[in-house]
Amino acid sequence: MAQILVVDDSSTVRNEVADFLKSQGLAVATAVDGKDGLDKLKADASIKLVVSDVNMPNMDGLTMAEKIRSEQKNTAVSIIMLTTENSPAMKERGKAAGIKGWIVKPFNGPGVIATLKKLAS
Amino acid sequence: MNLRHRITLLIVLAFLAISSIGGYSILQSRNNAAEVKVVTEGVVPSALASADLVALLKDVQLATITLVTAPDENTAAQAKDKLTAQKARLKVGLELQFRQASSTTQQGLLQQAQEGLDDYFAAVDETMQFKLAGQKDLAEASLFASVAEYQRAMEQIIGTLRIEKNRTKDEAITALNENLSDTVMAIAGVSVLAALVLAAAGALLYRQITRPISRMQAMMSEIAASQDFTRRVPVDRMDEIGHSIVAFNSMITKIQESSELLQQKTADMQAMLQNIPQGILTIVDGNKVHPEFSAYLETIFETRDIAGRSMMDLVFANTHLGADALSQLEAVGGACLGEDVMNFAFNEHLLVGEIEKTMADGRVKILDLSWSPITDDADTIVRLMLCVRDVTELRKLAAEANEQKRELEIIGEILAVTQEKFHDFIAGAIKFIDENELLIRQHPEHDAETIAQLFRHMHTIKGNARTYGLQHLTNIVHEAEQTYDELRKPRPGIAWDQAMLLDELAGVKAMVECYAHINEVSLGRKGPGRRGGERYLLVDREHIQQAIQRLETINTRNLHELVAARDAVRKALRLLGTEPIGEVLGGVFESLPALAQELGKAAPLVKIEDNGYVVRNQAGSLLKNVFMHLIRNAMDHGLETPAVRLAQGKPGAGLIRLKMGVAGGMLNLRLSDDGRGLALARIRQMAVEKGLIAADAPLVDEEIARQIFRPGFSTAEKVTEVSGRGVGMDAVNDFIKREHGRIEIRFLDDAVGADFRQFEIVVCLPESLAEHVDDDQVLLVERTRQEPVAAGSAAGPDQGAHEAEPGKGNLRVV
Repeated sequence: MAQILVVDDSSTVRNEVADFLKSQGLAVATAVDGKDGLDKLKADASIKLVVSDVNMPNMDGLTMAEKIRSEQKNTAVSIIMLTTENSPAMKERGKAAGIKGWIVKPFNGPGVIATLKKLAS
Repeated sequence: MNLRHRITLLIVLAFLAISSIGGYSILQSRNNAAEVKVVTEGVVPSALASADLVALLKDVQLATITLVTAPDENTAAQAKDKLTAQKARLKVGLELQFRQASSTTQQGLLQQAQEGLDDYFAAVDETMQFKLAGQKDLAEASLFASVAEYQRAMEQIIGTLRIEKNRTKDEAITALNENLSDTVMAIAGVSVLAALVLAAAGALLYRQITRPISRMQAMMSEIAASQDFTRRVPVDRMDEIGHSIVAFNSMITKIQESSELLQQKTADMQAMLQNIPQGILTIVDGNKVHPEFSAYLETIFETRDIAGRSMMDLVFANTHLGADALSQLEAVGGACLGEDVMNFAFNEHLLVGEIEKTMADGRVKILDLSWSPITDDADTIVRLMLCVRDVTELRKLAAEANEQKRELEIIGEILAVTQEKFHDFIAGAIKFIDENELLIRQHPEHDAETIAQLFRHMHTIKGNARTYGLQHLTNIVHEAEQTYDELRKPRPGIAWDQAMLLDELAGVKAMVECYAHINEVSLGRKGPGRRGGERYLLVDREHIQQAIQRLETINTRNLHELVAARDAVRKALRLLGTEPIGEVLGGVFESLPALAQELGKAAPLVKIEDNGYVVRNQAGSLLKNVFMHLIRNAMDHGLETPAVRLAQGKPGAGLIRLKMGVAGGMLNLRLSDDGRGLALARIRQMAVEKGLIAADAPLVDEEIARQIFRPGFSTAEKVTEVSGRGVGMDAVNDFIKREHGRIEIRFLDDAVGADFRQFEIVVCLPESLAEHVDDDQVLLVERTRQEPVAAGSAAGPDQGAHEAEPGKGNLRVV
């Protein structure tokens, strides 16, 4: 049972973000890439929010988002991208996949947690 | 008649036309059918029957011939019957023709035929009689003579009748044809006419509908193209189109109103953007700067190339920000624009709040940045707004303010120490510091004995500094002492580092030299000062000596004298721990000649009327701090240069006057000078420029004067060493408030609204800080160029006006 799924191939970022979210009292699951993320999401219906990196091996974050919408028909879960850059093309894909937000790394702004909590509950 | 009615009318007309054409056609075809019937059933058979008459006549002739030539009686009898039958048929045929006679010509002919037939039948009957009588020859003769003749006559008549009948028949057919042709023509004509009328009515209606519509359309296009909402479509007729046009016009009126409102708002916005002394811009897709921005942005960034430029280039190029921070900033724009407003909250922390930007000429500007998202109805961020403030001056002022505050505090600290003691302290401290420097330089390695020595020296400096209340110095010395203390420990947490220790020592030395500098330059207390006795004790001793003298010379048997002595002693004791104000501020007055020289002014006269009051020692530091600043302000802003003063008929040297008294339960210290007065116009202007008050604020002089106590205010044209850094009066106000006092400005003249007004500054402090000596007015006249003690006797004749007014109590010169 988790509220938030953190998807990042970098264990440093993954653990950092997960620890931060846990410290804020949120239940967190983690996945190492897009494929793993899809499986974890399938296995745990209580996940309300996915916070994902974009560039990952096996399956990138945007593809995962698209598959969440198309294969799993999951429209209830909110997807937030954690990124260092963004291009109009990426944003276009993101919009189509119903991505709600883009957080530019580092993941530590005071405005972040309140909104994430709202999305995760 | 509205359009619906007109269209209905057109349809009804068309219906009527078609109906009448139909009715007429039916009527005509009926008439024609009757005529055809007449022709086919009457005229044509009648004509045919007339042709039959000839055959019938021939049959009668043949039967007659047969009878005449009959060889026997039987045959004759048969022939006779046949003749009779043929005669009857002929007769019937002729009678039929009578009934069908269509004209008088025919009737005439038939009449002739009837008569001829009677003659013919009579001849036939006569011939038949002859034959039947056996008179064959007579019969034959009659046959060839009279019968044949009548027969020819009959043939002629019937032939004529036949021709006449045929003619009638041809005429009837021709008439019928003509009638049919007329009908077709009539129907065609009526149809064409109806079609024309309907077409005309339709065309008229079409024009009535399409013309105003196309005019409206054209006008709409024109209005849309020109955005000229003052134009209206004219209304010709109040039909449906007319109503539409009225509705359209009223819509245009509404658009015009909202357009005017929008224009007004846009104009207001533009005016704001043009005039607001702040840089405002918005960022759109691609981190580009939107073409609408505040004009002040050009001043801040010193360029006119702003619209459409990249934010990263315009704002963040040549700043202290590193590549990573820049890349984050760049990404934030993309992460927010076109996304839900929550993305601003996600990334707001990456938006830099302050940058140091190096301008083209190498100057560095400190820019304060504040960011906010502009969203649409769906909470999507459409732009990011960035407000840019140039805070370079503000930061500089704040730094200077801190520096000056520190300096004021240091001055206060120094003034609390007598000149000679302070001099000794500084000399001792420098000696210890120099020794420490030598010790550090001589020992590249950790050495316990050396460290102990270093610690002792620094500890001594700290102890002395603390004793004299030199707080700023104590703090920094304490840190150095702590370092040595740490090194003293068996297992020090830090290593012996010569460079670090020398650096630290240099910091201590700089602070000591700073104190020495302020003492010598700002306070003008060069040298070791006067040795031998403290001025405070001088005053005190005088009172005590007077008391002792009274006690020694007292006649103990005189009760009156005893009481007087007791009073004198009590007074002397009460005055312990107090100082005359002139003594308290002595240091300040001592520094005035040097200050005057620096400002290019004559050293002023200082006149103090203490009205018999002295102040408690505890107030000394505060009064020194406060009046140091106030008197320096008077020197800098109030008193003019000798040239200006002489031109105005004033003495070259200014006069500074300090009066002390108690009123309303408060100790009042009133400071005034005979300078140009308070520059109210300039103060107001400065306050407006600094945004402290509105340009049109209806303030009375007192309110304007209060502005000088507000933070960040300064009226000096240029920042001087002496004052005018814009924090002094604010700091003074703070000092006094902290002691539960207040500071006020009172005007001494009636020149309400003038640019300059004479005034005095009134410092009110709790009465407990003052002590009354006696009712004698204690007046100190000090010519600051001279040694203060000798001031009274040294006043030259030209300063006579500044001498205390004689007769106002005892004059005592200290």
